[in-house]
Amino acid sequence: MFDPQKFIDDQVEKTRSEVKGKAIIAASGGVDSTVCAAIVSRALGDQLIAVYVDTGFMRKGETKAVDGMLKRLGVNHIVVDASDEYFTALEGVTDPESKRKIIGEKFIRVFEREAAKSGAEYLVQGTIAPDWIESGGGLRDTIKSHHNVGGLPSDMSMKLVEPLRDLYKDEVRKVARALGIEVAERQPFPGPALAIRIMGEPTRESVDIVREACAIVEEEIEKAAAAGKMNIPWQYFAVLLPVKSVGVQGDVRAYGYTIAVRAVESVDAMSATYMRIPHEVLESISTRITNRMKAKVNRVVYDITDKPPATIEWE
Amino acid sequence: MRILVVDNGGQWTHREWRVLRDLGVETSIVPNSTPLESISADGLVLSGGAPRVGLDEEAMGMCGAYIDKLEVPILGICAGHQYMALRLGGKAVPSATPEFGKTLVSVVDEDDLFKGLPETFVAWESHNDEVTELPPGFKLLANSETCPVQAMKHETRPLYGLQFHPEVEHTDNGYEIFQAFLDVCEARKKG
Repeated sequence: MFDPQKFIDDQVEKTRSEVKGKAIIAASGGVDSTVCAAIVSRALGDQLIAVYVDTGFMRKGETKAVDGMLKRLGVNHIVVDASDEYFTALEGVTDPESKRKIIGEKFIRVFEREAAKSGAEYLVQGTIAPDWIESGGGLRDTIKSHHNVGGLPSDMSMKLVEPLRDLYKDEVRKVARALGIEVAERQPFPGPALAIRIMGEPTRESVDIVREACAIVEEEIEKAAAAGKMNIPWQYFAVLLPVKSVGVQGDVRAYGYTIAVRAVESVDAMSATYMRIPHEVLESISTRITNRMKAKVNRVVYDITDKPPATIEWE
Repeated sequence: MRILVVDNGGQWTHREWRVLRDLGVETSIVPNSTPLESISADGLVLSGGAPRVGLDEEAMGMCGAYIDKLEVPILGICAGHQYMALRLGGKAVPSATPEFGKTLVSVVDEDDLFKGLPETFVAWESHNDEVTELPPGFKLLANSETCPVQAMKHETRPLYGLQFHPEVEHTDNGYEIFQAFLDVCEARKKG
């Protein structure tokens, strides 16, 4: 069986022998990159700088929360606001693979800029097994290009260090618990963030809608779980659909967008079942979303597809 | 004991490696282009993959040679299973009803792999093709409502095929099925 303590010791030693000099780590605040930061900082100490990029597609309050968490973790870190660059690069882009590749390349350009300032030659990433499996290559079909694998530009100059490549999320969590990482149980969140929860062009306006909807889904589900009405799902979020439908609000015709709610159970993200959420919880999600965002959204649907045939995220 | 996972490009190839590692055997993933003479193992798992075996046999690399020449137990999964059937004179064609996700598998003959397991259990699927005719010398071990051959075994050689994916977390009894295959490999090794 997988032994997290042995894994930590092996990786600290391996990093020490492989990385000579300064390194930066792509830190999102999620469990994968935070575990990676903790392990690599044990090996490199002050030679490691964590770089968190605010792409403009982060969830409500996320940038501030991650900044605080990285401070408490005790790793050198900086927060880069690159949102203008991302919104410009994604203007008019609707194809999911194009979004992922543009976002992946932008990440690398930001990291290269930061690396140049500090003279770092290595880029540490929290890549885990599903990232490279689903990105495809050779015989393996591309299901989606994960930004940190399939989205890497071919001309990147930094050397990649990826200590978690052979692990799945459940194993990363075991390592996180062994390290006492505070985000050990945090739900997975994709690198391209809310940009791939907007079925269509990611703009400041569309990201505001899906950000608010995601916050409501998270709050309602966490509240229900705290009250013992359900377990916390593996992952739970909202997706903005470009479909408009007719509604009636205060005796007035409405014509607005649709939010799809997604919540799944999984162990490793490689297969998943949709979560059996109690109807009363679904109803409070629906009521809050449509009341709060009445000018934009007047319909909420629940996704009841397993993986396969669907994937967990919609893009 | 050393079991190799032959990679035919499946989404769950690495999961097969993980289950074998969790069961405590030495294991690694090798490309299906690995020459026959470089294969040194007490058992082989032929993974699933994107190749449509009936259409692009070439993509299955050296799998045919492994099936023909090796004497160690071989477990074909999904594309590995379909290719085993095709290679040995059975039939594998596009499924009338492809299966994705949850399916109920019915055991017809528990044999080695399903010993002590329930007669029906939940298994996770992901296939566009399937075996419709067993190769000569094979017997049926399991089926499902929409797939006639969910599991098969050669009568005398240690060759096994599974259409469903025992390596996936959502499949019931997956670790038990892998352990049963390892028991076959172990018994064979002691000879």
